[in-house]
Amino acid sequence: MVKLILRDKEYQVKPGMTLLSALEKIDILPEAVIATREGEMILEDEILKDGDVVKLVAVISGG
Amino acid sequence: MKCKKCGSKAVVNMRQHKLALCKEDYLEWVPEQAERFIKKYRMFSHADKILVAVSGGKDSLSLWEILVRLGYQADGLYIGLGIDGGFGYSSESHRLAARFAEERGLTLHIVDVEAEYGESIPVISEISQRGRGKPCAVCGLTKRHVMNRIARDRGYDVLATGHNLDDEAAVLFGNTLRWSGEFLRRQGPVLAEMPGMARKVKPLCRFYEREMTAYALLRGIEYIYEECPFAEGSTSIYYKEVLNKLENNRPGAKLTFYLSFLEARERGLFTEAGEVRQELHPCTNCGQPTTAPGLCSFCRMIDKVHGEIEIP
Repeated sequence: MVKLILRDKEYQVKPGMTLLSALEKIDILPEAVIATREGEMILEDEILKDGDVVKLVAVISGG
Repeated sequence: MKCKKCGSKAVVNMRQHKLALCKEDYLEWVPEQAERFIKKYRMFSHADKILVAVSGGKDSLSLWEILVRLGYQADGLYIGLGIDGGFGYSSESHRLAARFAEERGLTLHIVDVEAEYGESIPVISEISQRGRGKPCAVCGLTKRHVMNRIARDRGYDVLATGHNLDDEAAVLFGNTLRWSGEFLRRQGPVLAEMPGMARKVKPLCRFYEREMTAYALLRGIEYIYEECPFAEGSTSIYYKEVLNKLENNRPGAKLTFYLSFLEARERGLFTEAGEVRQELHPCTNCGQPTTAPGLCSFCRMIDKVHGEIEIP
């Protein structure tokens, strides 16, 4: 499985899909996050592999 | 996806520009673009002394880093708001801003609201009963006052803030929903200097918030990631989410919304009604401009706070 982490929430998706599909599946707008894997930024067309841990950095701030 | 410049693996894809870039090219592209916007909107020159308002967040620290990288004379101003939120929000943002300045040998002015005005932002908000239980209105009023005071008193030519395109588009969206003519007339990359008021500029106003986050991450700038505890559920965040949904389906929608507004304003769309201009008076206490003769909103608020403390 692939694990996606956004702040204190964790999501799991099946491997083999693109990051874009994974974000759509867990209902997160690609515009609102930046994805990193092993400290490197990855783009929406990246195919996620079994065991991948993707950290999502929220980009929206208010105030 | 490949970098459009060098063909290596891209790490940032800006659909609104149809441009994907690798780390090295992106870190060059952002300052180049910032310089282009600074010149296009005639924000300042290399001869000017710039005061950058830094919150410890990604935008303001990145702005400071970019201005210094471009060779501008830029000092920082950090305003301690006294907001805790259970995780020391203000103390952590202060630590990050101070560390950023120290590591680069930059000058950072620090104003602690509680030390200077007697109470923290949440307490001032409670006493003054402004903002319906949220201190955001008090916070904005205080920050605008302090930023202007320091810029003026310390002889800076211009005050720069880290507002990005998403910030500007969200404000524009709110002002458009209400057709707030006066606010629409005033919104823009540059707010001209007037008696008692420093010139204000927003060099990041054409960068998406996502782009600034990418810049801070790729440049290795440590910023406060946690949101201000009072920002949760705020209207500005809601507007940003709405605009991002639009952007997701129509890449470039946010940029077009903002740039078309600037062009419309330039063409005079808002000027006819704008001929009725509000007269401004200097505040009798601090000298900053205010719409009614006497004390400005900030000085009235602080007077009330002091009154409440002295008379239990």
